[in-house]
Amino acid sequence: MESVPFMGVALDLSAPASSDEAALVAELKAGSEKAFAYLLGVYQNPVYNLVYHMIGDPSEAPDVLQNIFLKILRGIRQFNGNSSLKTWLYRIAVHEVLNHRRSWGRRLFHEPYSVDDESLHLRVQGVMWGKEKETPYRVYEQAERDAGVNRALASLAQPYRTVVVLREIEDLSYEEIAQVLGIAEGTVKSRLRRGRELLKRKLSVQMSG
Amino acid sequence: MIFESCAEIRSYFSDYVDGACDARTVRSIRYHLSDCKSCNKDLERYRAVQLDLRGMARQQVSPNLALRLRVQVSQELHRNVAQRLMIRLENIFHPVLLPSVAGFLVALVCFGLVLGMGTPRTNNIPDVPLDLVTPPTIMELAPMNFDMGGGPLVLVTYVNARGEVTSYKVLSGPHSPKFMESLDRMMYFSLFHPATTFGVPTSGRLVLSFRRITVRG
Repeated sequence: MESVPFMGVALDLSAPASSDEAALVAELKAGSEKAFAYLLGVYQNPVYNLVYHMIGDPSEAPDVLQNIFLKILRGIRQFNGNSSLKTWLYRIAVHEVLNHRRSWGRRLFHEPYSVDDESLHLRVQGVMWGKEKETPYRVYEQAERDAGVNRALASLAQPYRTVVVLREIEDLSYEEIAQVLGIAEGTVKSRLRRGRELLKRKLSVQMSG
Repeated sequence: MIFESCAEIRSYFSDYVDGACDARTVRSIRYHLSDCKSCNKDLERYRAVQLDLRGMARQQVSPNLALRLRVQVSQELHRNVAQRLMIRLENIFHPVLLPSVAGFLVALVCFGLVLGMGTPRTNNIPDVPLDLVTPPTIMELAPMNFDMGGGPLVLVTYVNARGEVTSYKVLSGPHSPKFMESLDRMMYFSLFHPATTFGVPTSGRLVLSFRRITVRG
């Protein structure tokens, strides 16, 4: 098998093309550490973002992310290429989050959403050190808006929230969402319609309140 | 497609903002929107929600979490005991490998420089042998030019404190007058280190053995 140059580990790499993806999967199945480092570089931020918005409690997101990549590592040999690698990864991530919520659901249900996330402090520090171009006011305004949307999102029932997050935040197509969740495209559309409607109402209430 | 009510058209807004409606539905929605402020407002709210969702700051994995993930993946990939042992050994030796190799090379270069700096010094101090008694030794033998008759020649030589032969006695070998004359001459011109007693030169005896050696060439 020809060696594939998966040397980079930088974050936010773009997903590999389908031809490269087959080579990447082959390397992953062979247990190449460099291939896994590349996979982490490409997918750790998108998957973390998905988990963060789906799980409801951001403090749980790192542990869930670790479990997800552990399952990906252990299950990569079962990946048969029927879907894209991205869809397969997201399916594992969504299932892991749902399992996690099921086991911790009762506790999470009563916990309020916290806006004191680490990223906000880092961004404000970035402003103070001159790294961020925005003003501190804009950063806090954005954080407030994000917190409001997150609160509304967290209050949605899980099926609607999952579809909305996958569509609006992760920018997956209807077909990809259907593959990730194992449901029909029609169901995706109806859940998305209902989720958006609920979200619109909740945000309107927040704005008026 | 003709919509009967605003409620009906609004059920298509979700697909409409995603661009998932067919051309006929899109035309009908646009026709309706051109004349319905309420639906226009509702669609604006849809779009605002979409913008709010898409405008949210994307969460990034912290460097600490990224490192934890890398370590976890590495540990999972090297669960085999032998591999883990090799990695542990590599981790132990890798940091000292470069300094130790560099140290060895520097030592080698220094050793070579020291060796190449010249001939080793010889001890010119005429030390007195500290043995209690030392026998006389040959300093230089005069050339021999006589026929021993094929057999060995063994003789006892008496050397005085100045290293001169005072007498000698042939133990085995020829005794002819001509041979003895040649032997006298050789002994007269030979030089010896005298025997010593506590470092002081003194007279002593030395047994010499000669044998004819033929070298072919």
